Amino acid sequence: MQCKIPAIGIASSNIVHYATGYNFKYNNGMPIRYVSVPFPFTGQPRAVDVAYVSGKDMLTGQPLMSAVVNALTRPLTDEEKISGAPPQEAVEPRLLPPDWEENLRQLFDDREWSDFNSIILPTEKRVTAMLKGTSHKPDEVVKTINITGGARQLTVEKVAINAVMAGASPEHLPVILALATQAPFGNSTSSMANMVVISGPIRNRLKFNCGTNAMGPYNRSNAVVGRTFTLISKTAGDLRNNVNAWETLGSNLQYNNMCYGENEEALPHGWDPLHVEMGFKPNDNVVTVGMGWSSIASVGASQSIYPTHFLMRDYMGSFCASGSAACIVMDPTVAELLKDVHGFKTKAQLSEWFSQNVTKTAASYWGNGVIQSTAVPFALQGLEPYASWRKLPDDALIKPFTNPKAIHVVVAGGKVQTMWFVTDFAIRRGVLIDDWA
Amino acid sequence: MDRRKMLALLGSSPALVAGSPSHARTALKEFPEDYPRGGEGMITVMNPAIAGKLAARVPLVPPLDSLQDKKIYMINLSWEGPDAANYFYGAMTEWFEKHYSGVKTVVKVTAEGMFGSDPSILKDILATKADAAIVGVAG
Repeated sequence: MQCKIPAIGIASSNIVHYATGYNFKYNNGMPIRYVSVPFPFTGQPRAVDVAYVSGKDMLTGQPLMSAVVNALTRPLTDEEKISGAPPQEAVEPRLLPPDWEENLRQLFDDREWSDFNSIILPTEKRVTAMLKGTSHKPDEVVKTINITGGARQLTVEKVAINAVMAGASPEHLPVILALATQAPFGNSTSSMANMVVISGPIRNRLKFNCGTNAMGPYNRSNAVVGRTFTLISKTAGDLRNNVNAWETLGSNLQYNNMCYGENEEALPHGWDPLHVEMGFKPNDNVVTVGMGWSSIASVGASQSIYPTHFLMRDYMGSFCASGSAACIVMDPTVAELLKDVHGFKTKAQLSEWFSQNVTKTAASYWGNGVIQSTAVPFALQGLEPYASWRKLPDDALIKPFTNPKAIHVVVAGGKVQTMWFVTDFAIRRGVLIDDWA
Repeated sequence: MDRRKMLALLGSSPALVAGSPSHARTALKEFPEDYPRGGEGMITVMNPAIAGKLAARVPLVPPLDSLQDKKIYMINLSWEGPDAANYFYGAMTEWFEKHYSGVKTVVKVTAEGMFGSDPSILKDILATKADAAIVGVAG
């Protein structure tokens, strides 16, 4: 549906910069006129937002309302009348011009084709060797990445180039190709991060660490697979600092994306591996990606005076509960405790318990910016429980994790301590690695 | 055997031992575009980047000749909630009432927040023959 009336956008300067630059070039194609308010706009007292109206347009320096009137009434420029395909498509050569190693390393950093740790330069010989790790043809398109526009076709060859850069071996390539179907990593002003979980027999074949230090920097497979996800996201996703990637704090998790394997061998009887819960067969090799923001550690060992799941519940109460999502990662000793002492015969029973027992105040729930963006529209449309929750007094308690199936449990660790993390990571459906062999 | 050949056999680029990294960077800057490259010690690597498809250009519709007696929709995207833009649009409406008699403003909050297009608002704009729209406020 088209209305064909003049329309202008109003946004803070950070958004306008993206909207009139990268977004216009790769996504929109329409030279929308903007008027810019100071940043931040949301989360301010009412008086601040009101005062912006009598302030200045951050783009032109004019009084803001003069800029609004001007944007709605001034004649179109020749540039604003252009239509049709752009005159020249951007070109990226398959091979970079020959150069000295030092210059190439500098180039990769300058173009943000790295995580600013040293990379293995992707010579043709190295990439050809890497491609032996898959039967898929180099020019096969794994995914078209269009998150910030540009519709970039990520091929098997480009994935292999990034795998070489990360220090992976050919045997890692099927895992990395499966993981590439989930690229790019989370990118938002709110500083998102990702979690990558490896499931199935491939964990042992490629020696992924699922035990002691599973989530630490102590294993090559965990390191290179997690790192490649970052490199693919930045290169294929063309994510560049302050161009189209503005995580205001950023997340250190984006160096490795919390890549680890589930310790399936140590699961209590009746507790299924993550991929089996999703419907995969036990011998399927699967990579699963989660996305979120927060991780809270148990810090100390589980205590008998306060049941472990009670403490998990308390910590989960501080999450925003967007999409009812959570992922608890626990040592096998904690899983055994929860099953044998506290009676959770399956992961699903534990998830159901959390759904019924995690509470937070209505004020705390609605006080989160992500919830304001995502759940308020539901409330305004009359959808429950959001519509009712919006009418509650601030100190009323709600159970925000309405969907126990969105609360996942993963077991990893070396049985050294009864430790766990609760995270707000939303776990997506797993991807079959075997399809990429 | 000369030094250069020996280093190459050992797998080291002469550039790495020729001096400081700035020496290697200077080589890139000083040589002209058409200088024959591929000299000993230089390597060729594959490009990890992918060309982005440029968006087709869409022209703007003609602007208003003036705001007098116009109906302007103010569309609230509910960026991090609807309140901030509602306050802002309220103040804008007061400004229009003071400076442009005859301007009518209509504030609408999108049903799906900033992630959806809300066809009902577009239908409303057509049905009421609105003259212009202001969309915001992001940030």
